[in-house]
Order: sequence, then structure tokens, then C-alpha cells
Amino acid sequence: MIKKILTILSIIFLAALIFTSCLHRDVPEKETQHQNTSSLEETRPEEIPPYKIVEIGGVEYLQSRGETGKPGGTFYSSMIGEGPKTFNYWNSKDATSSSIAGTMFEGLFITDPYSGKVIPRLAKSYSVDKTGKVYTVTLRKGLKWSDDKEITADDVLFTFNTIIKGGYGDTSARDVMLVDGKMPAAEKVDKYTIKFTTPKPFAPFLRMLGFPIAPKHKLEPVTKKGIAEFNQYWGVTTAPKDFVVSGMFKLKEYVPAQRVILEKNPNFAMTDKLNQKLPYLDTYVIYIVGDLNNQILKFEANEIDYLNVRGNQVARFKQKEKASNYKMYNLGAGDGTTFITFNLNRRKNDKGQYYVDPVKQKWFNDINFRRAVDYAIDRDFIVSNILEGVGSPLFTAEGLSSIFLDKELAKGHPRDLNYARELLKKSGFYYDKKGNLYDKEGHLVEFTMLTNAGNTERESVGVMVKEDLKELGMKVNFKPIEFNVLVGKITGAMDWDAIILGLTGSSLEPNNGANVWRSDGTLHMFNLRQGKDALNKADLRPWEAQIDDIFLKGALELDFNKRKAIYDQYQQIAYEQQPFIYLYTPLNIVAIRKHLGNINPTPLGGPVHNLEEIYIK
Amino acid sequence: MSIPLYILKRILQSIPLLILVSIFSFFIIRMSPIDPLSELKLNPAISAATLKAEEQRLGLHLPLYKQYFKWAGSFVRGDFGVTTAGEKVSDKLKERIPNTLLLTIITILFTWVVGIPLGIYAALNWRKPIDRIITVFTSVGMAIPSFFFALLLLVFAVKTGWFPVGGLTSPGFSNMNWFFKILDISHHLFLPVLVLFTLSLASLQRQMRGNLLDVLESDYIKLARAKGLSENTVVYKHALINAINPMITLIGFEFAGLLSGAALTEYVFQYPGLGRLVLEAVLKSDINLVMASLMIGSIMLIAGNLIGDILLKSVDPRVVME
Repeated sequence: MIKKILTILSIIFLAALIFTSCLHRDVPEKETQHQNTSSLEETRPEEIPPYKIVEIGGVEYLQSRGETGKPGGTFYSSMIGEGPKTFNYWNSKDATSSSIAGTMFEGLFITDPYSGKVIPRLAKSYSVDKTGKVYTVTLRKGLKWSDDKEITADDVLFTFNTIIKGGYGDTSARDVMLVDGKMPAAEKVDKYTIKFTTPKPFAPFLRMLGFPIAPKHKLEPVTKKGIAEFNQYWGVTTAPKDFVVSGMFKLKEYVPAQRVILEKNPNFAMTDKLNQKLPYLDTYVIYIVGDLNNQILKFEANEIDYLNVRGNQVARFKQKEKASNYKMYNLGAGDGTTFITFNLNRRKNDKGQYYVDPVKQKWFNDINFRRAVDYAIDRDFIVSNILEGVGSPLFTAEGLSSIFLDKELAKGHPRDLNYARELLKKSGFYYDKKGNLYDKEGHLVEFTMLTNAGNTERESVGVMVKEDLKELGMKVNFKPIEFNVLVGKITGAMDWDAIILGLTGSSLEPNNGANVWRSDGTLHMFNLRQGKDALNKADLRPWEAQIDDIFLKGALELDFNKRKAIYDQYQQIAYEQQPFIYLYTPLNIVAIRKHLGNINPTPLGGPVHNLEEIYIK
Repeated sequence: MSIPLYILKRILQSIPLLILVSIFSFFIIRMSPIDPLSELKLNPAISAATLKAEEQRLGLHLPLYKQYFKWAGSFVRGDFGVTTAGEKVSDKLKERIPNTLLLTIITILFTWVVGIPLGIYAALNWRKPIDRIITVFTSVGMAIPSFFFALLLLVFAVKTGWFPVGGLTSPGFSNMNWFFKILDISHHLFLPVLVLFTLSLASLQRQMRGNLLDVLESDYIKLARAKGLSENTVVYKHALINAINPMITLIGFEFAGLLSGAALTEYVFQYPGLGRLVLEAVLKSDINLVMASLMIGSIMLIAGNLIGDILLKSVDPRVVME
């Protein structure tokens, strides 16, 4: 009998323990912000002048900007996922394939990871004429493919006129280069000079010239066989010796689901200040790991040389840093954004039913409602508790790392529940005795908020936002659902109320967000138009039309300061209208082994942007 | 019925089964609200035209039944199609199947080499302390969840540095001679094999022990003993042959499990096998890849059973084939 009672008591005790821990997660206690990143000063790179060009034996080499190192050795990194789908850069649609192929092929220009400016790479120099439409680009002389054929204007022309214009491989390159539906024209002036003409002045164009140049002598015969043949060419089963590259590394070995090994390309035309050829590294090994946990284990087991450290791991890694062989860097805010958005869609679907319940439509389309939500959310609390301090509150449509950020707006505003309640009352919302919120027609304010399940960070953010809005009297049913289902709802069924989601941004080019902001964009999720709705612009809100204009103007303006002024306007409108209520941006924190030299991580380039200069001490 | 005729009959019988399996699998996967293009759709840089082209390429704009016939048509012709990323499914499978086979065959080999003698030994020492000790050890192995055990071993590998964290070969593998290649692979295989071995040892050992005990209880063994045959002759000549029959049936099932049995362990150890590939394919609704591996799995199950039956027939002439 006593034994029985003891068993029951211990079960109750265990159950109580479990329940209390659940409670703790659902209703987080407000505590002061912990400052575990305070010791991690943000890395601010000094501006370094662009590469010098030095001529050695008729070849124009780029001279590196870092300290002088010594050749040899191997650098180990890793990537999460299934590994590359192809080594054909021009056919790569996923980030993994692009980034590996990106070390094998060079473009005419790159974005300087220190300053964000566009600087020459394969190119030696460029000029833009007065109309802003004609770009004349000169190549460096004596550059060679890895099979000793010279890199000339013909390769550039082939890349732009045949591959991109011809619709070979990944057509998104063509999509972003179209100006008014037309591709810029490329003409050969002489063996080393190419003239590009855009239909209109098009600001993002120079950055697009960073697109890797393809070896004409290898790929032209393939393009002649047709698109299908091209899309199979240089796939993952191709023998490494068949590749002809211009970049610092060349494929040595690919073992599916295990690793990619790249080796030094002896024809890479870059030197250090002592005229030693770059890259210093003999081999570059990229492990393919299935998930984040395995990546962390591999770093701890010393198998890989650097790791992007996520929020909840930062404190632990920081603690171990002193006794370890790595150093941590804080690269500042990333370019991703996390936000809540409400469905502003007022249309009906094919069956004549509203996508969104008309009662809810009125709330969501009420600017006071959206602003009240904005003011009710405690961003600092989210950052300190969920990101453990490794992030910043976000208020603007441009990410915090964007060179187009409106810094005034980015300061945001403090949380103010009273103001939020005032805003709601202005629109006729009222409270009952229990503090529940009703609209002026007497409907209880209750809606569903979705996010993708499995992303524990977003799930916790959802719980917090739900609690914050409860204080406003709103009843939020928070439901994490499968990622694919969520995307289906956003882009297809459109039958959602509110969503917490994140998008990757671009720190350098606001026009890359055009698909989100333009009213005809495929990701204009808060008021997505599809099929016949896409043509009917009658229900366009005035501010949506304004943003459409701004994106049109912004792409055509070449002067940075004027462009910035234009994009400031859209941030202003987004801030006032709150189609997306931005929440936070995580910080980029990396841990890198100390035995590596020339490690100069920058917010724009990441930890290993200068791979050619990195050496083993 | 002669053996070739019997095989033919079984193959013919399995065709409608395979068709049913393929229909069910195809429609269940396609009915789930997973969109293979969802990641592309949430990428701000991808245009509507590109999405449309992808949809056309994958045949997603067709009605469901047409998609099925399209798939079935090419499958019958031996073409497994391409993955959502455009790679050949047959290439993907070719990369992974040998790795999974290596892992599972070695595991099965070890479990049989250890499990059968252990089962016999336990049966002969029935109810003696040694039998109990073996039972406890093998049961503990069976009771630990495989992924948990795998995680523990992984932590062990990280802390000690004695074993690599995942993978099958080291970066310098291609430059090694054959001896070091074997050493390198064994080094990588040790932990995953240990997990799978511990997991399946118990059931095999228990099965063998039970079979042998049943046989040892039967009348003809009592008769053999009564006739005064030596204990060794009784056990190894008469009892064992009869106790081994059910084990042959087991081989048939294990054949089917060869390709799919180790998915969880493969995932934890980041082993480059089929399980990991298929799991990710299911999550992305990569229909051709999932279907190809499901069909291969079904075919292996049918073939495994068939092989088991035929083996049984050749071992035990009393078995009648119909």
C-alpha cells in the first residue's frame, strides 16, 4: 500500500515538474536583458583601397590587400543540406551549388566586401557614358582559363548574349537583368573591351556584371545542342578534369553527401605583395552536413575551421573561447528580416467566396489596428529572451545591414500599450469588463496567426507576440504549420489571417526586394494578386501604387544619393502603413580557428570572403 | 510445381501488388499539401516566369492522374525521371545504394555471426545464470532507442576524438592505398554498425534460442536421446537443422530491410546512405525520387520473400511449393 502511494506521489511530482516547465515556456517571465554579447564587439572593417594591378610577364595580376602569408595547407569548411546539385554555375538554382561554383568562376566585377562598392575583378576598369546607358568594360590582359586558353571579350559576349539572353540554365539571371522587358545589349569593341548598352539607365546593372563569365570554348558546343543538353552539362557526375575554371579553385573530388574538395587553380591571376601566387591554400574541403547539430559537432571535433554560431549557442561558445583554438567575431546584423503580416486581401476567389472573412478584412485593413499591433509588440524582450541578446529590434523594410537603410526610421519607437489602446479606440474598438477587444459592430477580435513549424525560434516568437497582443485584448490562435503548407497558403489558397515569417534581404540592392513590394510581385504576400486579379488594379491601395512608382524610379536612378532618397520614401511608407510589422534581425556571429591567417570577416562579405588570401600560420 | 515455374508465378502475382503500392504511394504523397516549389516561391529573386517554367518542367500543372500515368509510363520503361533539382534519380540512387548496402550487410553479417551462436549457447544453458546474463545484455541493447544510442556515441566521438563525426571516408581517401582505404572505411563504419548491431542482436539471439528450445522439447529429440546418441550429435545434427528453418524466413525479410532499415541511424551519423536521401526527398515532395525508392523497396520485399521460400525448400524437402 505504502509503495503504491509512493509511486503515485512520485508520478504526480514528475508530471508537475513537466507541466511547470511547459508553463514557463508559454508565459515567459519578463527579465532584464542579458548581455552575453556585450563582450563581442562588432567587427567594423577599415576601408581598404581596391586591388592594385601589377604586370608580371605580360599578365596583369591583381595584388592582394591582406598581409603576406605562406603557401600550402588545407582549409576545412562545411555546408548544411544535400550538397551541390550541379557545378555548372549558369544552371545553379540553389545557394549551395552557386556558392561552390562561385569559387570556381569569376565575374567581371565583385562587390567589395569592405566598402560595398563595385570593384573590378576579371575587369581592369570601366567607364559609364553621360547617358548612363553605355558601360565600357576593359578586361585584364593575359588572363587564362585553367586549360591555358586566354580569357577574352568573346567569353564575356558568349555569357551575356548566348547563355543569359538565350535562356540557358537558370533563367533568374535574365529576370533580374531585364529592363522594361529588354536585355541589355553586349558588343565587342576589341579583344579586351566590351560595350554594354542598357535600354534605360539601370542602377543595379553594374553589380549584375559580377555574374560569372563562362568559358566559350567549352560551353559553346554544348549550347548548340540545346537547352536540355546544357542543363545536364557539368553536373555532379562530371569528372573533375573536365572542368575549365577562371576562379581560385578547381574541382578535385566530389563525394556525394560527404564532401567537395577543391584545389588551387595555378592560372588564377592574383599575387601577394611578394609576388607569390594566390590562393595560398592548396586545397579547400567543404563537408556536406545534414543539419545544424552535426555542423556544431564537427566544429567541436576540430574537423572544420569555422562555424556560423546561432543565438542560443553564442553564450556557450563565448565561454569556451578563452581555452580554445578559435576566435569569435560579431559581424553585426544580418540581412534577413522577421515580421508579422496581416492578410489585406479584399477580393473573392473563383467560387465567389472571400479569401478573408469580411469582418476580419475590416480590422486588418484598418491602419490603426496594424499600428496598435506594432506598438504592442515588445521587440526588446524578444531579442533578449529568444535570441539571447544576439539580435536587434527591427522597424524598417530595409534590413539593418542595408546600405540604403533609413537610419532615422531604424531607431523605431518604444513599446507603448496605452498608445496602442488609444489607436484602437480611435477606430471604434472597445473593451468588455474582462478586457476582451470588440470592434464597433460588436465582433470579438480573434484571428489565427501561422508560422512554419520546426523553426523553434519563430515558434517562440509567435508565443510572445500572442502574449503581447493578449494585453491589447486580442485573441490570437497561434498555429505553427508545415513550411510547405504555409507557402501553399501564402501563394495559393490565400486564406490566412496573420503570419510570422522571415525573408532574406539584400544589403546592397533594394531592387532585389521588388518581388515583395511591387503590387504585381510574386511575393507581395499581404495583397497577392494572381490570375485575373493581377490585371485588375482597381483595389490597389494608394500607398501600394506609390511603392510601385518608387521601385520603378529607384531602379532607373544611377546616383547613389538620389537613389537612397528614393528608397527612403518607400521605407517611410512601409513604416507608416505597416503591411509588414518587422520584429527583429539576428546578428551574424562566427567562430574561426586561430591558426588561420588573413581572417578579416566583414558584415558584407562574411567570414571567408577573401579565401584567396587565407593561409595556414 | 518446379522451381522456375513457381518463380514465374510469384512474379506474375506481384505485379498487381506493385501497381497498387505505386498508386497508393503516389496519391498519398501528392495529396499532402507539400509543394515541391515552395522554397523557390519564397525566394524574392525568383520571377513568376521562372516558377511557371519549373512547374511545366516538373509536370505539376497536369491533373493528378495524368502525373501518375506519366510517372508510371517512364518507370516501366526503366526511366526513373529527374529530381526536383533536375538530377537523374538513377544517378542519385546509384551514389547512395552501395553505401547503405555496405552498412546493412556488414551489420547483418555481424549480428548473424554473433547472434546465432549466442542463441544456441543460451538455449543449451537454458535457465542457467549465463543464459540470464545474455538475456539481460541483449534486451538492454534492444530497449535503447537507436537514435538515442547513436547520439550518445556521437558525443563520445566528439569528446574523445577517436572516431570521425559522420561520413564514410576521410578527405584524403582517394590518395590512400587499398589497405588504408579499408581501415578508413572501418573507422567510419564502426559507430553506425555498433548501433545497428546492438539493436538487432537481441531479437535474432532470442529467436534462435526459442527455436532451438522448441525443437529440443520435441519428441524426436527425446527419442534420439533415448536411443543413446551423444549429446553433440543430438544437438548439432538433429536439433539445429530443424531450428534453423524459421531463420531462413528471416533472411527474406532482412533482404527487404537492407535498403531502408537504417534510415534513422544514417541520419544521426550523417552517413551518406539512401535513408537520408529519401527522408529529405519526402520532406520536399520530390516525387520521382520517393517513388523510385519506394518501388525498389517493395520489389526487394517481394524478392526477399521469394528467396526465403526457395532457400527453405532447398533446406527442407517437406516444404511444398504451390
